[in-house]
Amino acid sequence: MAQVVTTSKLEKWGGGNSPFRVSWGKLMMWIFLLSDAFTFSALLIAYGALRFSSVAAPVFKIPFGTDLHHKFGHFIETMQHKGIFTPNTWPAPDLVFNHLPFAHGIHLPLIFVSIMTFILIFSSVTMVLAVEAGQRMQKSEVSKYMLMTIVGGFAFLGCQAWEWTQFITEGASLTSNPFGVPDFAAFFFVVTGFHGFHVFSGVVLNIIIYLMNLRSAFDKRGHYEMVEKVGLYWHFVDLVWVFVFTFFYLI
Amino acid sequence: MAEKMTTQNIQDENDFIPETWVPKAESHGTKDIWQKFWILLGLTLIDIIIYFFPESVLAMPIKAALFIVFGIAKAYYIVGTFMHLKHERVDLIMSILLPIFFIIFFIIWMLQEGNAWFSA
Repeated sequence: MAQVVTTSKLEKWGGGNSPFRVSWGKLMMWIFLLSDAFTFSALLIAYGALRFSSVAAPVFKIPFGTDLHHKFGHFIETMQHKGIFTPNTWPAPDLVFNHLPFAHGIHLPLIFVSIMTFILIFSSVTMVLAVEAGQRMQKSEVSKYMLMTIVGGFAFLGCQAWEWTQFITEGASLTSNPFGVPDFAAFFFVVTGFHGFHVFSGVVLNIIIYLMNLRSAFDKRGHYEMVEKVGLYWHFVDLVWVFVFTFFYLI
Repeated sequence: MAEKMTTQNIQDENDFIPETWVPKAESHGTKDIWQKFWILLGLTLIDIIIYFFPESVLAMPIKAALFIVFGIAKAYYIVGTFMHLKHERVDLIMSILLPIFFIIFFIIWMLQEGNAWFSA
């Protein structure tokens, strides 16, 4: 090591000066995120294992934009009579998540969740722009981008609340699912709920950072590292959503 | 590397408090960020386009493989650029990435279990 430990303050570290060249707090955030990644992997892998152990529903394709009310009447009951939705089959996601606000009863799979994905990706970009502004010590720019990130977070949570309401209204719960195996609904609520709780915590952290920045807390401190640490958390939430989107909606 | 790292940001040894030490922040500019944003947006759009391909053109297993490859690509750009990991020291990169590789084993193992339950 280049520097010889001489003062009592340096001796506290014991293992040389910050071997990873990141601050203590940032390293801890990385380790926390690693453990959180394992939690989410466990949930998604359990979802995969259960899906592999279930019979897939018969393939039933509906053209994009079909008026479901007009063609099928009560859509879920018709599908149950046809034997597409049975309590023992794993439902195809495109027949479950096919709603869009202001387009009730129209078959529009994947559109709403794509909008949610774009919202989250964009809020990730504004977050990283806030971090970058912090590295240049530009207080007002950090404020601007943090505010955009917070708005994005709330927009995402709003979309998720709407989707949950829709799914619950149709009769889904942790123990029941009109579309197929009850476990499908249980996994949907647990995984997107756990992710949504992370988004909510991220929004709260972002608001705290935003308020601290308004009071010039980071200017006084001489660095904006707290923005970077909360940024890491926020990007992780986006990263998890990439895989939730892939495994719950696409496949 | 070690020289630079230990002397960076410390003028006086007495100022150095390990618990609150923060390396000097340096911006890498916004060009890379916007480039990665367009890549992420593009990959998501390709996902959506592939999703609506009829089964006769692209079978589900191929679609699923493409979705997973694109998912990993998106993860690479988010972690590398947005979370800044590609600019960190190799020690830190490996500390984070190597444990993640255990998950691959976990996936293979548990999906096989799922198949076994199905056959049982």
